[in-house]
Amino acid sequence: MALEDFALETDRCSQCSYCKWIPFDQMKSWRFAKNCPSVSYNNFNSYSARGRYAVSRSLIKKQIPYTDTVRHIVFSCMTCGSCDVSCKICRYNLYPLEMVRELKFKLVEDGQDLDEHRAVIESLKKEQNTMMQPKAVRGKWAEDLDVPRLFSQKAEILFHAGCRLSYDTEIQSSAVAAVQILQKAGLDVGIMGEREICCGGRIYSMGYRDEFARFAGENIAAWEKAGVKTVVTSCADGYHAFKRLYPEFGSRVEVLHTVELLHRLIMAKKLEFHSEVPMTVTYHDPCHLGRQGEPYVPWNGVEKKIKNQIIVYEPERPRYNGAFGVYDPPREILERIPGVRFLEMERIREYSWCCGAGGGVREAYPEYSGWTAAERIAEAKATGAEALVSACPWCERNFMDAVGDDSMKVFDIIDLVKLAM
Amino acid sequence: MALPANVYKDLEDIVGSRNISGDPAVLDSYRYSLAHTAIHLGPFFDTFTPRGACVLLPGSTEEVRAIVELCNKHKIKFKASSTFWSAQGFPSEDDTIQLDMRRMDRILDIDKKNMFAVIEPGVIGATLQAEVMKVGLNTHIPGSGCSCSTLASATSYFGSGPSNLYGGWHYDNLLGLEWVMPTGEILRTGSLGQGCGWFCGEGPGPSMKGVARGFLGSKGSMGVYTKCAIKLFAWPGPECLPVEGTIPAYRTPLPDNFKAYTVAFPSWKAWADAAYAIWDAGIGYLAHRQFNMFGRDLKFAMVKILTDPTKTLSDLEELLADPEVQEITEQSKREFQIILVGMTKRDIEWQKKAFDEILERTGGWKVEAMDEPHIHDWVLLYMIRLGHKNLNLVFGGGYDGCFGLLGAADYGASNAEEAALFKKKWEKRGAIVDAGGDCMMGPIGGQGGGGTCLWENFTCFDSADRESTEGTFEFFDACTRFGLEKGWGVGMEKWNAVARGPDGKTTSKKKRDTIHLGSPQPSVFRYQHRVREAFNPNDLGDAYYETLDDT
Repeated sequence: MALEDFALETDRCSQCSYCKWIPFDQMKSWRFAKNCPSVSYNNFNSYSARGRYAVSRSLIKKQIPYTDTVRHIVFSCMTCGSCDVSCKICRYNLYPLEMVRELKFKLVEDGQDLDEHRAVIESLKKEQNTMMQPKAVRGKWAEDLDVPRLFSQKAEILFHAGCRLSYDTEIQSSAVAAVQILQKAGLDVGIMGEREICCGGRIYSMGYRDEFARFAGENIAAWEKAGVKTVVTSCADGYHAFKRLYPEFGSRVEVLHTVELLHRLIMAKKLEFHSEVPMTVTYHDPCHLGRQGEPYVPWNGVEKKIKNQIIVYEPERPRYNGAFGVYDPPREILERIPGVRFLEMERIREYSWCCGAGGGVREAYPEYSGWTAAERIAEAKATGAEALVSACPWCERNFMDAVGDDSMKVFDIIDLVKLAM
Repeated sequence: MALPANVYKDLEDIVGSRNISGDPAVLDSYRYSLAHTAIHLGPFFDTFTPRGACVLLPGSTEEVRAIVELCNKHKIKFKASSTFWSAQGFPSEDDTIQLDMRRMDRILDIDKKNMFAVIEPGVIGATLQAEVMKVGLNTHIPGSGCSCSTLASATSYFGSGPSNLYGGWHYDNLLGLEWVMPTGEILRTGSLGQGCGWFCGEGPGPSMKGVARGFLGSKGSMGVYTKCAIKLFAWPGPECLPVEGTIPAYRTPLPDNFKAYTVAFPSWKAWADAAYAIWDAGIGYLAHRQFNMFGRDLKFAMVKILTDPTKTLSDLEELLADPEVQEITEQSKREFQIILVGMTKRDIEWQKKAFDEILERTGGWKVEAMDEPHIHDWVLLYMIRLGHKNLNLVFGGGYDGCFGLLGAADYGASNAEEAALFKKKWEKRGAIVDAGGDCMMGPIGGQGGGGTCLWENFTCFDSADRESTEGTFEFFDACTRFGLEKGWGVGMEKWNAVARGPDGKTTSKKKRDTIHLGSPQPSVFRYQHRVREAFNPNDLGDAYYETLDDT
């Protein structure tokens, strides 16, 4: 697609500002009623989905030039998708998240990308990771694990660690734990180790569509060669890339987030808890596992009108409004861990507040990224929980950085599962 | 034309560099499309309100005062808006400064005992309601929905909505007011002006509500309202609405003292008789002809879509072909929604009995399909929170209301069918959604406690389609002619056309004078002219504050 393909949507956006709020039906307080970090932090309309429709329209019609402000407006979007959820409460023919992605693609294609992102891309091209680290040490996290390396050995299930867990030594124990738990449950699991490459999800959300396509192609080819049937990852960004984006490039493997697989194992009694974890926790839904974690539905249709002017699609177009994301498995896991007292925050599931790490914001605008995480930590504290649990290493890292010396503990859910086993 | 550098710098000094922008990309996000929802003005294809000179995000009354004083010094027009629901909140003329009030969004006080809240402009209906429910109170939410500024609705428009019946519309509910007048002076009205607190809009102290609001609200044309107190009313429900269901089919299961009905009648006379009887009996918490906004032929199919998260508009035709849907659609032709809320168990039992008696006397019936638990609880949430207002634009992104028959229940009821037939003929031409002609919606009880109804016939179109948009405008012109012919007067479709023209800018004085002189009471606008001269000597607003200077 191209930005011009959204021209009709720019005229059909109702300018209602629903995109700035969580679904009104779900509002429980003044304090935690907003949904979009971008407009909440920057305040001008242009930083909302509604404003980005206006910016897109003006760019398409060549009414505005590229400026630093335009770049800031576009790349301040975390592509967390919360605007998309709120918009689609009432609208069945607008796709604001797809629009803002297309806007990013256009800026990148027009050479309007950010220096901070270019540095990531340059490193990625060379080192095949978004952490700006040497590819030679990518497999170091698993050097003590006795697990097949699928570039030379075979296994049905591939555990993809992802860039963050492969390099972030402070949190990568959860990747080790995930593999150990799956092995203990008797699953035929392997890893790519030092040959693992980036999923491309994060560069896709920065606007680098072509680079993403290259990584998708390489990963799919590697999986086919290894005979992988299922790909499991603990990274929500990776999960979204594999589950929602890769099928467009021909991927046919089953994609599971670790929480989905652990949940299956617990339900099948192949995984049992023996230790108490006395802790009051709350759970943060990662955007790419929750509202953007819905299954991929192939669609190649066209717009048509019924009853004169009602806009529909032929065939029916997938809605992707967050209704069927992965929300219950992590909650059910937490509720089954002995000793854990689970409390909900106000903004949860499809209308969860973003951690602040997505869309290239962490790389380009660290202060704003940190503010977004701090907002979530404040919400977690308001529940009375002592720990904030998530299911994505990017969320975990952003929260850990924002917590500082604060009393709130931050965990990946796998850490708690491991403690309870 | 950009602002002179020295003026921009002075404004930046007032609000800080983070809260001012003159970048074209930012300014274009403060332009309102007159194609998709003209709010009783157009629609005009591919037309936007003028680009502002800059956008400011003030954070306090003092900052607003300083901005307004600076605007007076340099004779620069300014326009404040809080939640930007309609064209009224956007500049009407080039080089106007847009004030976006979203940073001033605090709830300053909730006075449980005296049942009011003190709020800033950025507070919306939903957040205020969520907070006041915690102390057993509720706020009226206007028909524009809970996304809109409560202060703007109360100070700058008239704020009618489904809870008029029990909660009173917002004009009634406005108590103390802090007003940065067009000259920059700060006036505190009612009891607040006497230092007695926020509890009363009329006194002791200056009773300036009429002057500040003018006819149907000043719509951002007479200074900036920076704080107000709003009257609240009783909420005998839970402190937080319990919400279940999968998006977008959220629903709220409430205790037995809440009951939502959709009721239909054998004739429009029976419909009106029921409205009068409800007002006489003093029952009901919210009452609205709500879902008919989708159209007489489409409404139940739309309810089926909206209450099923697996369905989309692509399922509409199949649903319309379903005999069961057809039967329910037929039996609910002349219907409305009402929510009864008992303050006690005895109260709800009495209200239910009284309502049954009203139905018996008028021959009305409850539409059973709307009483299915998942639909019933969806209706409760929809009506109480009013968080789905953007469904107005669900079909093609464009809607506007026409006719707008405001008056006693009989008035609208006796003309609704004729207006519907007129619209139905136009629907066949193809520019607007074919919905069954009767898309009349509006409150049952247009004023606190009852008294009037409003019949606004929703007209939906594709705002991105020139033929659809221009065909809709042609239809609205025809509605105006038809309304005049029938003696109903000019309908809602042209309410704001007096202030803003097809180019998105202020209409000519000649046109405005002609319209105002032809109105039933031109002296209202002459009076407002005098008010404007006294309070806004540099005329820094726009024509939404309607004046007539025919000297």
